[in-house]
Amino acid sequence: MQEFINQFFDVGFMVDHFDEVLKGFWLTIQIWIVAAVLALAWGLVLALVRQSPGRGFRPVRFVTIAYIDVFRAVPLLLLIVIIALGIPSLEFLPKSLRIPQWLGKPDPFWYGTLALTITYGAYMAEVYRAGIEAVPHGQMEAARSLGMSHGKAMRNVIVPQAVRKIPAPMLNELIALMKDTTLVSVIALNEVLQVGSDIQSYTYNSSALTLGALMFIVVILPLARLIDRLIARNQLRVARGSHIEVA
Amino acid sequence: MPEPILRLEGIHKSFGDLEVLRGVNLDVAKGEVVCILGPSGSGKSTLLRCVNLLEPPELGEILLEGHDICKGPGSGTGESGWDLDFVRQRVGIVFQQFNLFPHKTVLENVTMAPKKVLGKPKEEIRETATTLLERVGLADKLDQYPERLSGGQQQRVAIARALAMEPRVMLFDEVTSALDPELVKEVLDVMRELASEGMTMLVVTHEIGFAKEVGDQVVFMDGGVIVEQGKPVDVLDNPREERTKKFLGLVLER
Repeated sequence: MQEFINQFFDVGFMVDHFDEVLKGFWLTIQIWIVAAVLALAWGLVLALVRQSPGRGFRPVRFVTIAYIDVFRAVPLLLLIVIIALGIPSLEFLPKSLRIPQWLGKPDPFWYGTLALTITYGAYMAEVYRAGIEAVPHGQMEAARSLGMSHGKAMRNVIVPQAVRKIPAPMLNELIALMKDTTLVSVIALNEVLQVGSDIQSYTYNSSALTLGALMFIVVILPLARLIDRLIARNQLRVARGSHIEVA
Repeated sequence: MPEPILRLEGIHKSFGDLEVLRGVNLDVAKGEVVCILGPSGSGKSTLLRCVNLLEPPELGEILLEGHDICKGPGSGTGESGWDLDFVRQRVGIVFQQFNLFPHKTVLENVTMAPKKVLGKPKEEIRETATTLLERVGLADKLDQYPERLSGGQQQRVAIARALAMEPRVMLFDEVTSALDPELVKEVLDVMRELASEGMTMLVVTHEIGFAKEVGDQVVFMDGGVIVEQGKPVDVLDNPREERTKKFLGLVLER
């Protein structure tokens, strides 16, 4: 037992390596923020294309649905490896795209961001879709009968109401996304897991990994509480009977 | 007779196997108030929704101000086969369930479409909207959100919102059916005033009193066709058709 505690919960060791681990965790947060912004935008684009009307849009609707299905099925870890190995070998791309070093970040950062955006864009598209479908059909009819095009009705009437219905499930996706950033360690990005493993490999002490886990807990716990409050607020509205009209 | 502002010829509409409209012909003169009555499932709401192409008809002709709004053969079915912009800029509709935009204030509900569709100057839009909301008696509710209003107030906002697009024809789809009884009058009063100002109106309703008082023409529908039509006194007091008599008997019994 004592050995286990020394191996994983050596407080002195954690203090000694705190700055190092925190630096790795900061990179985790950075990749999370960039991927979250991109996935939120990309997911909305996918959801909107999926909802586009008419026969003319049928091919793009089909492609979008296929995209969402495929990337919900492919394991993220596999996708990260494929991208990191595959993109550098695309000879026809300029070097700045094959081995991106934008904003002073190394290329694994951007391969990881791309994989996370591709996968989480698909997940988030489904969340947006749930929100859009939860807006009563009469809203679209009212907007269209006032002369708005499908696009204007989406932008001004449907989407603003849809996003008010989904903060809780969307926050769940964002939490899952944050935790999944650790997968990018597999392509040697010095984020928190990679840093912890490195320390472990030359000190034979795993407490840096525990420290990394604690950092996740510190950031994610408040988010989880926030979700609970959002759900409770929504239930209150349902109880008041105004859920039909208002998110 | 002067040229009708709206002419429907042989309107057919099905949902799957269900034939909801089976050849409806109707002429509406400018400034006329046409009240459409009929049992539920008779196709009266669908007819209204055909007129503004929320449910484009499969067969038939719609002439609005003499303009054939069908784009002609080969132009596809559904919405794409029709001149949507032409219709939606001239025909306004008010729904049973109000369908106000819950995330916008009363004033924003009324200004949104003129802003986004007509692109008129903001000041002018605001002024028009305020005047309209004054006319329906809601000048003190401009900055409220719809959920804070009663059903009757919401429905009056919905009327103002439709009027803000300056329609030539207004459609009312059972606009008092979702209201508590004591709120019906305030909505009917607004419609009465609108009719007296010369607005052309198609009103699907169960309010026989309103039809008798305000209607210039009453249309009784059943089974997807017009069974009987004429002056309110004729159709409502001396119906010729059995189905009309039976329906009126059931409605007036309440």
